[in-house]
Amino acid sequence: MPNPYIPVLTKVKSMVSENEVNDIKTFELEFVNEEEYKAFDYIPGQFAEISIIGKGECPIGIASSPTEEGTIKFTIKKMGTVTSGFHNCDIGDTIGVRGPLGNGWPMEELKGKNIVVIGGGFAFSTLRSLVLYVLDDKHRKDYGDITVIYGNRNSGEVLYRDVLEEWEKRDDIDVVLTIDREEEGWARKVGFVAAVVKEVAPSSENAVAVVCGPPIMIKTAQDELEKLNWKDEQILNSLEMRMKCGIGKCGRCNIGEKFVCIDGPVFSLAELKRMPKEY
Amino acid sequence: MTEKLLKKDDIGKLYSELEKEYKFYAPTKVQGNIAFKQISNAEEIELEYLNSKVPPKDVLFPQKEIIFEYRYEGKEVIIEERKDLDDKLLIFGVRPCDAYSFKLLEDFFASGDFQDDVFLKKRENATIIGIGCNSPRQSCFCTSVGGHPFQKESTDIFLSDLGDNYLVEAISEKGENLVKKLSWLVDIKKGDVEKSKELAKLAEDSFTTKFNFDLVTKVLDENFEHPVWQEISESCIGCSSCTFLCPTCTCFDVIDENDEYNNRGRRIRIWDTCQSCLYTLETSGHNPRPAKIQRCRNRIMHKFSYYPSNYDCLGCVGCGRCITACPVNNELRLIIDKILEIEEKSGEKVSA
Amino acid sequence: MGLETEIKDIETNLREIAKGLLKEKKVDVIIGYMEGTLPMLSQPIIIDNEEDVDKLLWNNLCYVNLAKYLVPRVPRFVDPEKGNLKVGVVSKGCVGRALIHLASENKINLDEITIIGIPCNGVVNRQRIEMEIGEKEILEVSVLGNNVIVKGKDFEKEFPFDEYMNDLCKGCKIRKPPLISKYPDLCVGECEEYSSIVDEFTDIEEYDSKTPEEKWKYITDALSVCTRCYACREACPMCYCNLCFVDQNKPIWFGKTTDLPDVIVYHLIRAMHMAGRCVACGACSLVCPMGIDLNKINRKLEKIVKERFGFTSGLDPDAKPPMVDFKMEDAEEFMLEED
Repeated sequence: MPNPYIPVLTKVKSMVSENEVNDIKTFELEFVNEEEYKAFDYIPGQFAEISIIGKGECPIGIASSPTEEGTIKFTIKKMGTVTSGFHNCDIGDTIGVRGPLGNGWPMEELKGKNIVVIGGGFAFSTLRSLVLYVLDDKHRKDYGDITVIYGNRNSGEVLYRDVLEEWEKRDDIDVVLTIDREEEGWARKVGFVAAVVKEVAPSSENAVAVVCGPPIMIKTAQDELEKLNWKDEQILNSLEMRMKCGIGKCGRCNIGEKFVCIDGPVFSLAELKRMPKEY
Repeated sequence: MTEKLLKKDDIGKLYSELEKEYKFYAPTKVQGNIAFKQISNAEEIELEYLNSKVPPKDVLFPQKEIIFEYRYEGKEVIIEERKDLDDKLLIFGVRPCDAYSFKLLEDFFASGDFQDDVFLKKRENATIIGIGCNSPRQSCFCTSVGGHPFQKESTDIFLSDLGDNYLVEAISEKGENLVKKLSWLVDIKKGDVEKSKELAKLAEDSFTTKFNFDLVTKVLDENFEHPVWQEISESCIGCSSCTFLCPTCTCFDVIDENDEYNNRGRRIRIWDTCQSCLYTLETSGHNPRPAKIQRCRNRIMHKFSYYPSNYDCLGCVGCGRCITACPVNNELRLIIDKILEIEEKSGEKVSA
Repeated sequence: MGLETEIKDIETNLREIAKGLLKEKKVDVIIGYMEGTLPMLSQPIIIDNEEDVDKLLWNNLCYVNLAKYLVPRVPRFVDPEKGNLKVGVVSKGCVGRALIHLASENKINLDEITIIGIPCNGVVNRQRIEMEIGEKEILEVSVLGNNVIVKGKDFEKEFPFDEYMNDLCKGCKIRKPPLISKYPDLCVGECEEYSSIVDEFTDIEEYDSKTPEEKWKYITDALSVCTRCYACREACPMCYCNLCFVDQNKPIWFGKTTDLPDVIVYHLIRAMHMAGRCVACGACSLVCPMGIDLNKINRKLEKIVKERFGFTSGLDPDAKPPMVDFKMEDAEEFMLEED
């Protein structure tokens, strides 16, 4: 077994700015070694510890779907030393990747079910991976109806516009985009995600809700789902925690007896309610 | 199981023979304290000692450990992995509590889908020569966590201090092979094994600190939000003495150290502590454990509740270092007493 | 007066005063010291009713600086409705100094504190005694005449208190907390007004007489066993920064490893941050799990501060520490002469 602490080397193939203020970029990485790419067998919802070797490492959810072959994508927001380092990268720079890590969305258990994707802001990256995977020709028939509710502060913050526009054209997926306040030129919904969830009122029958976003959005959206008779087992969250090793050895991402990097980051609401409120 | 006798006068001979093949670590005096260091001559070995301040975990899991080194050539990065992990180590004079901690560390680093190669390779190449405790301290409680002052299981060779000699017992296969190599060891005499058993019994009977940890785990599982934690964390000052000196604490931080002028550097890991307010602090500013009470509680829960849930055993070896090291004497025994009081008080309510 | 009598007197007076304060509701809680669970140890205790005053004690092993618990205030000192409680602090001279110095840095409000002064007669240098006893367990500590008696399973040793006191305490000139005329109700018990302090710095005489090479060897040897546990920083009442320079990462000033360069930089920079602020309580040395005598470095800096600025910390809540202030009389011999 390879040493899990040694990163695999990749190169930056492209960098795409995702929002108007230019502090969120999607990085496309290609592996230096073809075999290492083949060994990087991931499912949506997993993350990897990516690093600028010499600056530091951080855990970022994988934004690309395994159905998008050849490269992997990460969407990174400029927040601290390491992420700023990423934003200052050039094409061709070397990035270290350790992964795939974490449990990912339970794609097998989601089969045959309707999926309601509720995302807010910048947390949409692993949801992009999930939806692209489900919509892929090879998998679409395995899953039921798909509804995507995606909210942002303003239209400049909406990520993955190209992909969202593709989805809006399809008839096998229902996309509801919303922003917090009225804006000139925005023809779609306006309102907080929770209000839109109430309006859309997704049915809980044979369905799973996948909720990802800022804590307040998660709380209010889940409250609405509860009013619509959704059970805790049907709601999935992806948690964020400070991580260093990503493989359950450094100890810091623990919530109770569970480690977010190996037992998570995906947990059902039912599981979360049994864990101490330290996240 | 081979049994031999090692004369205390022959320690020098033991050292000179073994140091050819092994990196020899033994208890030695450093600035007035006992520490397990690699020694360069037999005179440095201290045979009369209670235990080291810093546990021998730091031989296999040092405070600073290099994960890999790297250098930049233009945009290319060349990573150099550790090459010294195949060196053979011998750690002499490890107390049974610390020897048991090696087993806990090994199980932890090997658990799950990912194995910590760095630690496990070193552990595989390490031979542990344990030594029984003739005089356990007031702060020791290994018998309460399933240990014993003469517990032999986690060692390769076990020594019992009989006065002028050590009784040598080979425990593992590694130990058997090593004892065979030391062909000059003297044969045991009648009564030596009995003497060792007597010393073991005397040591066992001398413990003043005893806990029922099954009960502790049960009470902890049911009382996460109990106000007793306020009392327990009151005088704690949030230093990390208890965690750094604990033989089973393994939390670490990973840092990239970069030499910008020479385009090279290394990724290292250093000991970290859940008692630090920065431990769980996220870049966004959100901190899952912002208050001291939560951090104090996390350490106790981790050792006596989460560890049993995940690995079916307690995360504590009963060495007592946290008890003697705490600067404000907010020691484990007081904490356990306060926790068990919850059970007593609730028992009273029920019967009344 | 023998050591035993001294201790008994201090203890009895302390308990009486504490009882009075709680009874008359002049304070809501009192923080002091109580018996440790092992010989050579003591622990802080917070009491809020008269029945518990007998738990308070004084025994020359009270080395934690209680001012630490005021900045930041521990939850027990804050009532969710009433706000900050009135706290009585059992204070030896250095604890009182710490409180007053923290007031000069605007970290505590002296109106909310009562200093219960005790005439400290020194703290036992427990690390020195433990190192001399060596690898044998100490089972009992007691006082007889002017000696500290240390007993174990098969040994008993006497240590003359005057010699085995903490080096700092031997030359201490501020044994009782300072009286501040601006705050007449601040102090109860044994306190004293200090007009000028003549500190001979006898505790660092030996260190100061070394050559620079010897000093460097002394410091590097002593610090070589540091485990970077930060007990020294956490025990020091003056270390209250929300983000310590060690933990900053924009930029990372230096490493957190136990490599000698990292260790030396940490301790020397911390000492620089203490210059003009250290109250010579010795807590840093006495809480160090490895027994490093850290206070020597701070004391050397205090000597320099005294020589250059004539300043002693913790005597005047209105005085600014020299490192955050300037006076026209400050020497400037490093500046070029005017023509």
